Amino acid sequence: MKNRRIKKTYALLLAFSMLVVLALSGCTGGKSAGEVAPEGKGDSGGSSGEQVTITHYTMDSEDRTFIEKLVPDFEAKHPNIKVRIEKAPYEQFDSKLQTLIAGGKSPDVTSHYGYGGFAEYFNKDMLLDMNDIIKEDGFKASDYSIPDDLMDIYTIKDHVYGIPVNMYVTLMLYNKDMFDAANVPYPPSDYEDKSWTFDKMVEEAKKMTHVSDDIAKTQYGVDFTWSERDMRPLYFGVEPYSQDTWTNGGVPSETHFDSPEVIATYNKLFDLILKDKVSPTTEWSKSVAGQNGDAFVTGKVGMTVSGSWSLAGSNDFPFEVGVAAVPAGGNDKIRSVLFVDPLFILKGSKHPKEAFEWIKYLVSEEVQEKSIDLSGGNPPVNTKAAEAYYKHFEGIDPEDVKKVYEGAVKYGFESYNHLITNYSQINDMFINEMQPIDTGHKTVEEVMPTIQKKVTEIIKR
Amino acid sequence: MRTIPTASPSASPSTNKRRRKIDAVSIASFIALVVTTFLMLLPLFFMVSTSLKSKKELLKFPPTFLPDSWQWSNYKEIFETLNFGQMYMNSLIIGTLTVVGTLLSSALAAYGFARYRGKGSNLWFMLMLSTMMLPYPAIMIPQFILFSKLNWIDTFLPLIVPAFFGSAYNIFLLRQFFSTLPDELFDAGRMDGCSELRMWWRIALPLSGPALATVAIFAFIYSWNDLLTPVLYLSSSDKFTLPVGMSSFTSSRFRIPPWHLLMVASVLAMLPIVTLFAIAQKRFVEGIVLTGIK
Amino acid sequence: MTHRESRRQTLYMYLFIAPWLIGFLVFALYPILSSLYYSFTDYDIIHPPKYVGLANYTEMFQDDLFWKSVVVTVRYTFISVPIQLLLALGFALLLNTKIPFRGFFRTAMYFPSMVSGVAMSLLWYWIFNPSIGLFNYVLSWFGISGPSWLMSPDYALYALIIMSFWTVGSGMILFLAGLMSVPASLVEAAKLDGAGRFRIFLNVTLPMISPVLLFQLIMGVIDSFQVFTQAYVMTQGGPNYSTWFYVYNLYTSAFKEYRAGYSSALAWVLLIVVMLFTALIMKFSNRYVHYEGGGRK
Repeated sequence: MKNRRIKKTYALLLAFSMLVVLALSGCTGGKSAGEVAPEGKGDSGGSSGEQVTITHYTMDSEDRTFIEKLVPDFEAKHPNIKVRIEKAPYEQFDSKLQTLIAGGKSPDVTSHYGYGGFAEYFNKDMLLDMNDIIKEDGFKASDYSIPDDLMDIYTIKDHVYGIPVNMYVTLMLYNKDMFDAANVPYPPSDYEDKSWTFDKMVEEAKKMTHVSDDIAKTQYGVDFTWSERDMRPLYFGVEPYSQDTWTNGGVPSETHFDSPEVIATYNKLFDLILKDKVSPTTEWSKSVAGQNGDAFVTGKVGMTVSGSWSLAGSNDFPFEVGVAAVPAGGNDKIRSVLFVDPLFILKGSKHPKEAFEWIKYLVSEEVQEKSIDLSGGNPPVNTKAAEAYYKHFEGIDPEDVKKVYEGAVKYGFESYNHLITNYSQINDMFINEMQPIDTGHKTVEEVMPTIQKKVTEIIKR
Repeated sequence: MRTIPTASPSASPSTNKRRRKIDAVSIASFIALVVTTFLMLLPLFFMVSTSLKSKKELLKFPPTFLPDSWQWSNYKEIFETLNFGQMYMNSLIIGTLTVVGTLLSSALAAYGFARYRGKGSNLWFMLMLSTMMLPYPAIMIPQFILFSKLNWIDTFLPLIVPAFFGSAYNIFLLRQFFSTLPDELFDAGRMDGCSELRMWWRIALPLSGPALATVAIFAFIYSWNDLLTPVLYLSSSDKFTLPVGMSSFTSSRFRIPPWHLLMVASVLAMLPIVTLFAIAQKRFVEGIVLTGIK
Repeated sequence: MTHRESRRQTLYMYLFIAPWLIGFLVFALYPILSSLYYSFTDYDIIHPPKYVGLANYTEMFQDDLFWKSVVVTVRYTFISVPIQLLLALGFALLLNTKIPFRGFFRTAMYFPSMVSGVAMSLLWYWIFNPSIGLFNYVLSWFGISGPSWLMSPDYALYALIIMSFWTVGSGMILFLAGLMSVPASLVEAAKLDGAGRFRIFLNVTLPMISPVLLFQLIMGVIDSFQVFTQAYVMTQGGPNYSTWFYVYNLYTSAFKEYRAGYSSALAWVLLIVVMLFTALIMKFSNRYVHYEGGGRK
């Protein structure tokens, strides 16, 4: 009896409070959106003399927060602009950004350092169209030695939404000690060396593979983690997403993950693990290197295909490292995945013009060159600063780094994770659905129809 | 009615036997404790050992048990890499104030829920419990909006002030303890003309030593290790707390995390908690004595 | 209870709970009600919320992942909470006796609860390592070749459950605090009555600590329905969705999918379910939990 009454009162109270909220919420919700667009323009127009503060939101790790050291110099050159660096760790990057925006405290400048990529930000209408600012400013990418094809990545239907700032490429790292021990010649760094193919890589990997019951003695020839899982068919020349994806903001009208061509490419890749046994399973890699670790760094893998960010830690590897070209896999045009990190101006920015000044400063030749050391090896987009980058890595021949970079740009395609909408969901889904293939519980043929169905659902959201 | 055996010759063998059995049980449980303790202390060993390794050694597989060469300099390096001292201070300030606030306000509210049968008390109590049932991600955004309207962003206030208004968990906990105190004590107090607040202070609090010590420890650890709230509300680096600073080590997807420094920070971060726990330990013993007298 | 007495009780109750009540009205009410409102809207955080009625609520019941997360979470709760309680109580009883090095043992048991999250997850990754981990090493003494734990869809959830036992120290501390308040005189009296160890425990100790037990049971349920960090940091909901916890699903919806409305609806369904559980436990416990005094009978 008593309990019933309590529940009833509770229910009543809930109902009442719901009404209150519904009545109140009309104003709270609408306001934050109202603040966003119009104010930004109004402020930026007349703010030539008075001092403004802009916020750059970035990831809290030393390869990103080094920009704090650039701020005094920038402020000295632009006495009317103050720059505040706001930061969050990777795991909280997206949630904090979204909360800041929802709370009406939107930062001015940021990049996609969380799980979401450009396409997500673009489709959620978070990014400012920079065309007007660029026109007023007279900004030309060529003045900053930024190649046009890099500018194109964040340009949609002739509107610029992001200025590239760092360019990572996909390259091959190899363990010289393991090559020497197996008496195998080092792979070439020249992309034009046509003898360097996927099949040859498998042959050489076999010579270095040694599987033993003792995990400490086990070693594998190659770890072929080329880009994220959904992009891998592209390596063999098969495109799982329809062409319109790249022109309309990352929303594919069609996907072909259950087509025989795509399935064949996945089989080829899983053969490395299951048939040829020259590559480690995910489980083995994680056992050896920890959850996010790369088994290559422990010295138990001969070759790995990975982002050029791995170069930054190469000094600490307990073995000699070399860089090589990604072998040819049957796609004449694309062999390397590019990860070009841009800087965006958010729509909520109240001072987009000043924000743009800061972005220009960050991509200028002098600052890009300085940033290589400050960040501990971030690759510049400014091609003039690139020479300094090639020389940055102790123990690795600058000539090799240069060749690998130039080849990667020539045979490169921007990573899907920056270009396709709802990407973090797609990626999560791929990791989970493909797991049983890795362990041999399911075949590629069994899994791909489910994946195709789920990708379609996710893209529609 | 049971008959209490008086000293009779037949009684002694049985007590003897019984004592031996207890001893066997004690030994068994002692061994169980030693084994469990070993497991529980593994993290400490692991942390200390990792904190003394060099960066290169971290990549070794299989990992070394003890460092090949002991890098004591890691403990110096942490102060050069992070603004460690400042972060430590910030965490200490926030943690201490949180404990004070939580203890005072939660003990008051818990007493209200435990000792009085007022109108609506059940309703409020259930409501209080329900505040713990909404996951934090669900209220993160509106809470941020609220604190930003109060102009509390980039201050310690969102991390401290709410503690002064009681935490549901600790109120519930203390309410359970206050409920077990015998009525007679309070009746006696009332006879003596004690005010209600005085009875709270003179009777309820002193008799709940172990419970209050527990609340103090829990509140401190919670605040000390909290990452989500400070990440959200603090933006200036000089206001960062320890967990925020430590999370920057593992943040980069592009670099191998400096696990050794992270472990140095973890080891140093444990010191205040261990100290607090040691102090609280004594409270536990006092707790027995006090209840023993009553 | 006389009318006057009842008014007096009400007055003092409100005076004492005022700190919490004010805090609730000022700090908690707005966020809670906002999330309730969001749950009836389509809200992507960037644009203002659009009212969509019950659409979010009906959608979740058709979502595979939602049901997966429910199964994972319920399984976790039903296995881990009872075992945690038993372990915590067992250790508390042991360490409440006059055992040598008691202080040291207590500190050691509580130790894992003091360690920061990052250090713990790194350690557990190593312990559950299929080939060099401590866990499978111990199993191998008994001739068992252990599974790959965190990397296996069949065992990852159990690995996380086992992990949760590591922090039974805090539950133990609570029980200890409860055991301290058991008057020694009561135990002595029972001993004089010739009651055995087990009897004393059942008739004297257990009723005296039943409020703490109730507290831990309810908090255990509330907390484990909200397990999140382990899944977020260690397994990212995998492998193959085996640790796709309810709140992990909720977090993903909000901050990876930009669907704050839907995720708020998930939060409110959770609230209602946990509320029912709590009410059920409370009702059931009325018969067994022993409160010494207060106005409550």
